[in-house]
Amino acid sequence: MEAISHAGSVLGVLAKDGVVLAAEKKVTGKLLDLSGAREGGYGGSGEKIFLLNSNVISGVAGITADANSLVNYARAAAQRHLFVYNEDIPVELLAQRLCDLKQGYTQYGGLRPFGVSLLYAGYDPHYQFQLYQSDPSGNYSGWKATCIGANNGTAQSLLKQEYKEDIGVEEAIGLVLRVMSKTMDSTTLGSEKLEFATMTLDATTKQPKAKIYKPAEIDALLAKHDLAKKDEDAEMRAT
Amino acid sequence: MSRSYDRALTVFSPDGHLFQVEYALEAVKKGTCAVGVRGQDVVVLGVEKKSVLQLQDPRTVRKVVMLDDHICLAFAGLNADGRVLIDKARIECQSHRLTVEDPVTVEYITRHIAGIQQRYTQSGGVRPFGISTLIVGFDPHDTRPRLYQTEPGGIYSAWKANAIGRSSKTVREFLEKNHKDDMTRDETIKLTIKSLLEVVQTGAKNIEINVMESYGKITALDLPQIEAIVAEIEREKEAEAERKRSRLAATAAGQAAMSQAAPGSGGPSGQQ
Amino acid sequence: MDISFALTGKGYVIVAADTTAARSIVKMKTDEDKIKVLSPHLLMAFSGEPGDTLQFAEYVERNIRLYQIRNTYALRPPSAASWIRRSLADSLRSRRPYAVNLLIGGYDTSTSTPHLYWVDYLGTLSPVPFGAHGYGSYFGLSLLDRYHDPEATLEEGLDTLRRCIDEVSKRLVVSPGKYKVKIVDKDGVREIEL
Repeated sequence: MEAISHAGSVLGVLAKDGVVLAAEKKVTGKLLDLSGAREGGYGGSGEKIFLLNSNVISGVAGITADANSLVNYARAAAQRHLFVYNEDIPVELLAQRLCDLKQGYTQYGGLRPFGVSLLYAGYDPHYQFQLYQSDPSGNYSGWKATCIGANNGTAQSLLKQEYKEDIGVEEAIGLVLRVMSKTMDSTTLGSEKLEFATMTLDATTKQPKAKIYKPAEIDALLAKHDLAKKDEDAEMRAT
Repeated sequence: MSRSYDRALTVFSPDGHLFQVEYALEAVKKGTCAVGVRGQDVVVLGVEKKSVLQLQDPRTVRKVVMLDDHICLAFAGLNADGRVLIDKARIECQSHRLTVEDPVTVEYITRHIAGIQQRYTQSGGVRPFGISTLIVGFDPHDTRPRLYQTEPGGIYSAWKANAIGRSSKTVREFLEKNHKDDMTRDETIKLTIKSLLEVVQTGAKNIEINVMESYGKITALDLPQIEAIVAEIEREKEAEAERKRSRLAATAAGQAAMSQAAPGSGGPSGQQ
Repeated sequence: MDISFALTGKGYVIVAADTTAARSIVKMKTDEDKIKVLSPHLLMAFSGEPGDTLQFAEYVERNIRLYQIRNTYALRPPSAASWIRRSLADSLRSRRPYAVNLLIGGYDTSTSTPHLYWVDYLGTLSPVPFGAHGYGSYFGLSLLDRYHDPEATLEEGLDTLRRCIDEVSKRLVVSPGKYKVKIVDKDGVREIEL
């Protein structure tokens, strides 16, 4: 639990037509080679936000090595479900699978528990869009908006103030970025400190579509929303 | 010695206690309160619901779960442990149906759950489950309601009414004082809510009630229904208090009358 | 010897199976139920090696029920059918495989569509508009080819089923006398007399 309270925070907001995840990256440096995240892969730098299955993305906070092994386990569990049932694993079931593993590590001797909390954002036909959070003890719960990692208390109270029922995914993106910029240590947001992802439905196929933003896309998104913010300020001053 | 992998985590202390089991019981005491009450032909499970946070999805906060069509379980203690134990029990329910073509009896599944809990106090390299459970239901082809309790140590027992979790002692004492045999459905529900109100200050919105009336027939009361009963209980309490007050007033008035009458008749006269 | 038919229509699936339990040339009983209700919106007709059929059907029934109790919602028909196929395919590659043929009919409440799957003991699974197992298929399939309509009302669907059953009675040397017919639609499962 202590390890997690220092980790880069992960924020999730559930909208009526999608889910938004954002994460603060802690590992940065001038010499870090980020070309992999810029060009290859499915987006993301592989540090905070992962694609678990075609219908579930997750953000992790805690010991990165533990997180990697949990992500690996989750992906295998999702594929196992696909193999047996020929359907994408329901989001809650995937969260349960991971939590059962985590619970086991707290109960069986000789092993230390996983030092990781996760957010799961996903879609399934049973409950549509969903957002879950799990902690090292193996507890999980569903949320409309939540935060794990450093400063999660501040973020959570901000979310509580600003969250509206029936929020759309575009608004949710704005909300996430706004809260993120307030809770992060650094004053400026940038793609080197931020990971960002959304889960929506594809307009034509009606299938869940995960999008993990590439650095350039994050910068573009920030530019868009930062501008919007400045305009607001200007308006405030004008009135 | 203690480095060897297979060493049990739970060992006897010199004075014969199993500390791990007692720690598990502490975990149970921290859990939210759950009450089970048996009536003439119903059994009621009531639990204290922690207030769901504003942004949380209430669907994912589950304290009372079905094990099979005819058996219901409530637990107090560590949520994650509860989930894992419940999963094992549900598998056993279906496995039992598959092997002997009969649904489990309430006692059987209780014994099974307690057996699992006991195993985790004795085998190597594991800690006990940090939960107590209340199991209610009806046996197949039977009309008698059943209520059982299990504890982390693996003890199980049948009850007319019992409570587990936070302040369970207060609630149990209340139940001991107020439980009657052969209660009707409404009386049973009322007693359950009344006993929960002993520890739940916030009233109806933090109470969840499930009523099982016969084999496989289970209903959850919705908030307005619970609120109505809570209001009724409060009215009764009010009336009771009122009676007490008026009685008190009557005696006070009586005493006042007495003491007023006193100076004339036989008060201490030497003072003036 | 078992005969089973199933067909879809507008918002429903009809599953029918004969009720004869036979051993060699002897009818042992004529009220055997060969259609299991797996969940509120799922039916499965099973035929094949006696003993295997019931054993496998009960195994499936309990596992589908377990899934529903664990997750509070039931498996949807495509997922349930995939799971059942997987079980049969695993069994085929074991020391003693089940020899069971199935027709799985279900109604998906989340998309409001009827589903029908044809499964054989080799682990073949195919989604079909109508299907049959046993000797009945020799007589019934051509009739179903001719008369089946995915938009048919329940009454029209039952008429088509009657044609199949009548043809079997007329032409098959050892035709069974009675059939059990079950329907699954948005309201769940129910049994009807033909």
